[in-house]
Amino acid sequence: MTTFALDTATPTPSLALVGVDGVIAELWLGRVPGGGRRVLEAAHHLLGACGVVPADLQQIVVGVGPGGFTGIRIGIATALGLGQALGIPVHGASSLEALALGATVACREGELIAPVIDARRREVFAGAYAVDADRGLRQVIAPAAWDPGDFARALAQAGPAVIAGDGAALVPALPTTRLAPDGPVQQVRAALLVARVAQEGPLPVLPHYLRLPDAEEKRLERLAAEARA
Amino acid sequence: MTGLVLAIETSCDETAAAVVDGRRILSSIVASQAELHSVYGGVVPEVAARHHLTTVNAVVDEALREAGVSLNDIARIAVTRRPGLIGALLVGVATAKALAYATGKDLVMVDHLHGHIAAVWLEPLSLDAPFVALTASGGHTRIDLVEDYTAPQLLGQTLDDAAGEAIDKGARLLGIPYPGGPGLEALARDGDPTAFDFPVGLRGRGPGLDFSYAGVKTALLYVVRDLGEEGTTARRADLAASYQEAIVRPLADRLMRAAEIHGVPAVSIGGGVAANGRLRHLVEEGAASRGLRVAIPDRSLCTDNAAMIGAAAAFSPAIPWPHYVGEDAIATAPPGGIAA
Ligand SMILES: [Zn+2]
Repeated sequence: MTTFALDTATPTPSLALVGVDGVIAELWLGRVPGGGRRVLEAAHHLLGACGVVPADLQQIVVGVGPGGFTGIRIGIATALGLGQALGIPVHGASSLEALALGATVACREGELIAPVIDARRREVFAGAYAVDADRGLRQVIAPAAWDPGDFARALAQAGPAVIAGDGAALVPALPTTRLAPDGPVQQVRAALLVARVAQEGPLPVLPHYLRLPDAEEKRLERLAAEARA
Repeated sequence: MTGLVLAIETSCDETAAAVVDGRRILSSIVASQAELHSVYGGVVPEVAARHHLTTVNAVVDEALREAGVSLNDIARIAVTRRPGLIGALLVGVATAKALAYATGKDLVMVDHLHGHIAAVWLEPLSLDAPFVALTASGGHTRIDLVEDYTAPQLLGQTLDDAAGEAIDKGARLLGIPYPGGPGLEALARDGDPTAFDFPVGLRGRGPGLDFSYAGVKTALLYVVRDLGEEGTTARRADLAASYQEAIVRPLADRLMRAAEIHGVPAVSIGGGVAANGRLRHLVEEGAASRGLRVAIPDRSLCTDNAAMIGAAAAFSPAIPWPHYVGEDAIATAPPGGIAA
């Protein structure tokens, strides 16, 4: 089973080729604006380096977010296009949970793992998970778009935690939290999407925006105001 | 040019796919989002992009099924690259690139405006160059000289609002819900187009082929204010007819003038505003009186669709596999015209 995995929810897109015996190759794009737009080019190079052609792929796993809306859509559109053309299954996995799974190596006994993705506009996409002995994740705080201060308070209630991800620095420091060390644990790794699917089964290939379009939010506010009046 | 083209269009609020075989349309599927956006009074880019993503693969499947072909039978894939809503374009471009890459096919990246112009190349109109083309929609208002389908040349364009934009804004002032075009036209049918003298854009300003629609919209605003609610209601049909006339007459007039200046034997229209019955009538009438051939596409080929993208693909270079993997969508039109 050769699986191609990709995640473009964050400014550092990640791709991986995973075989039955584990990861064959991984590739990250550096933090460049619109990096997600380069994902097919990166895929071409990754496959080429492994001597694999698209027709060899048997399954695709794509990160469905949360993260940048445009990035998520490019990743999913690419995955679905490849799947449609090749006639192979496409599965979804949470980008936030893949981030959490990667950071479990930085987790000490009794600590929660709190994956945090920068949601812009001074918000973060974040959640918290307890980690069991075989690296299974149990959701403690459901993924959502948070005000960083509110998230810190929710986390303080939940227990000691290690924070990882490109939005980690936005969360106010607490006596009970610490930041995961720099390095790969701070990024969404596409290979861990595949690991997540192996743990929990696939998610539908639908974006986890966790936020309504601005126009829809305004419309609902207006309707609510009209209902009050 | 031989072989089937699968074309994908997602530049605004229609998710579209088509299969064309040269000038022949084998299928043309359009999933319109108009209803989705009507509650916002206009196209919301983020809403459009979200909807394209959940729709595009099914629309492609449907286009293949209706054409009675499989992806294997397709020679090339074409997609709208520019101009448009960037989030919307990116969904189509990522999809088309992935489909082409996975199947080893070449990719043609098409300019949306090139598509509108090339719509009349398709059967049954099958218009050959040279001609002058009017493209009028919510985003564009322009006239091109088409000496050759590969390189339309811009002759004139709007200096401010697009014609379709002016129609939508005017319709809103008259209490017609978005999209305002069909409602305004229906209302105008019972009205007198000469009842109100709205300023026709750039009237009397030399032989230019440019347009201006900011003034007419403001003029309607003042008239509606002066008439008051009751007066406006009483004269809605006349207002609609006069306002529509002020928008579509300059389109037809300048198209005829462009044909005269450049000595071409034919004219064409395209874009969403070309679905307007009054414009179609004026263009037909103007062309007949000058002995010009006129190509007016079916309404479904005027509004955004993918068959026109498949048509333009016949006149755009195909990028061979896999050299398009790094190609990107672009929000803007290139300076001065159309990227062929
Ligand atoms: Zn258009």
